Amino acid sequence: MTEKEQKIKILIADDSEMNRAILAEMLGEGYEILEAEDGEEALDCLTRHGTTISLVLLDIVMPKMDGFGVLTEMNKKHLIEEIPVIMISAEGGAEAIRRAYNLGISDYISRPFDMEVVRKRVTNTLMLYAKQKQLLEMVAEQVYEKQKSNTLMVNILSHIVEFRNGESGLHVIHVHMITRLLLEYIRLKTDRYDLSDGDIQLISMASALHDIGKIAIPDEILNKPGRLTQEEFEIMKTHALTGASMLADLPVAQDEPLVRYSYEICRWHHERYDGKGYPDGLSGEQIPISAQVVGLADVYDALTSERVYKKAFSHEKALEMILGGECGVFSPFLMECLRELSGTIKEDLEKGPADYSGEGGVSIRKAEAMFRERQNRQASPVPRQRSREEAGDGRLGGEDLRRLAEGLELVYDRVRLVDVSSSAQYRIGREGELTAEPYDCYRIWDRKGRCENCISARAYAGRSRASKWERSGGGLYQVDAMYIETEDGPFVLEMIRKLSEEEQSELLRIGRGGSV
Amino acid sequence: MTLREAYEQLGGDYDEVLSRLPSERLVKKFAFKFLEDENYGNLERAMETEDWDSAFRASHTIKGVCQNLGFRALSDSSSALTEALRNGFSPEAPDLFGRVQEDYERTVRALSRYREEEGGNA
Repeated sequence: MTEKEQKIKILIADDSEMNRAILAEMLGEGYEILEAEDGEEALDCLTRHGTTISLVLLDIVMPKMDGFGVLTEMNKKHLIEEIPVIMISAEGGAEAIRRAYNLGISDYISRPFDMEVVRKRVTNTLMLYAKQKQLLEMVAEQVYEKQKSNTLMVNILSHIVEFRNGESGLHVIHVHMITRLLLEYIRLKTDRYDLSDGDIQLISMASALHDIGKIAIPDEILNKPGRLTQEEFEIMKTHALTGASMLADLPVAQDEPLVRYSYEICRWHHERYDGKGYPDGLSGEQIPISAQVVGLADVYDALTSERVYKKAFSHEKALEMILGGECGVFSPFLMECLRELSGTIKEDLEKGPADYSGEGGVSIRKAEAMFRERQNRQASPVPRQRSREEAGDGRLGGEDLRRLAEGLELVYDRVRLVDVSSSAQYRIGREGELTAEPYDCYRIWDRKGRCENCISARAYAGRSRASKWERSGGGLYQVDAMYIETEDGPFVLEMIRKLSEEEQSELLRIGRGGSV
Repeated sequence: MTLREAYEQLGGDYDEVLSRLPSERLVKKFAFKFLEDENYGNLERAMETEDWDSAFRASHTIKGVCQNLGFRALSDSSSALTEALRNGFSPEAPDLFGRVQEDYERTVRALSRYREEEGGNA
């Protein structure tokens, strides 16, 4: 950071050197003047200096690219929202002026130029934009507060996904990054999806929950190192529908865009452009762009990472496989974007999350950028590399335990700690303290003694995790058990979830040999 | 010869320009600069080669500059020529260009004399 006072930069775009000189002279010594003699130069200047330019004085009639051309480009690049433009054309006709206003100019100074008028107009415009920035920051603050609860929700849930699925946090971060890169590139190439900054921000965040449905998949299938049987594969596919149902059942405002995006992505990220995907067989642009992009990002990261069932492929190989249609079917446009962006994706993934940041520069969107920054910090899960064997590595207690339990309780109906040797069960309290329940653990199933297939015993013995389905009182329950070491000693964390009617009939159908 | 007199000779409005560019020094500076301006040359070439697009732009630019400098006569004639060339060639254009040529020469003559008498550049 230099201490020297930076002069405000003003770009004067006019093909007449005389006019540029007059204006520069009128503005006086207080500004740093940049000059362009045609539209192309003006754009070049804007590209180079970006939003460090505080104002543009723009002529209309210029060779190579005229003022309207410049305005159009500034609109496309969203620069028009950041940098005020004052038109200085001799083209005073009402139609031209109207057209310029429609393209976003702030003001219009007619000729001949009057020094006082020029100065006043310029300073007024600059001050107005400064005020707007301030206001935006205030608004962003309020919007931020409102979004915080949703962001927290996503954060908690994505931790749960990671915890329960034994996934590394890196996959979530990668999918977030790739999703974001793709969306921003798509926006550069086309208007057809109408993506605002906010949309891109929210969709990238929502991508963290795309596999939340895998919580419902039994551990043995989820982490099976070998090939899945047909039936196991069908069960695996249910995670799309189940995840969407889970999100729809969450105690959050269902009409919030973030929640809506999460639902779309979760439910449809396995659809295929040719209609042969699941669960609903959507085809073409019926599939929301959020789901299309996250589906692609998911596949890409899966290919380039190591998994229990495969080694990592190189970025080049992954690209080849996807473009060759070996890993699902995506829209030709998306394929084009992926191909053009692949270098950047590879670079950014290799750089890693620490270097992944938004743009800098002081701009009217600094407010949005600040807002974005905070959201990114909130939403990016901390990467924890945990393999199955290491589950229960760090001792959990107090705050951590409570947060874990709270998060799990969002998707599970009952969360408890079981002491296998004594069959005692414990609730996890507000401070993470353990409170013994008066009943033994098996009473939950209305039994008089230990379960024959006690899942917790299995998990405890193997210092690992296990799942089972339990029938009780006319309902079907999913039970996930996980060995964890708490500050009060080793326990088994039991998470119980009642399956919905839909899920039950789905499983029944699969059991009979049906397919999703 | 004063700058005011020079303005009178070239058919300009000295008071008007002084009200907008408040110092005589500034007016003088830009009046001299006008002598180096290449747009008139561009206009001539364009009219010769029948490049109506470039002629339009050059004429338009000259009009703008003259408006800024208060060169009333030349501003009016170049304005008329600009409109005649807006959509390409039109039959009045050559005559209007003739007027521009006259007014331009008159302007240059007055300014050059003034500059000589001033003894150099501003």
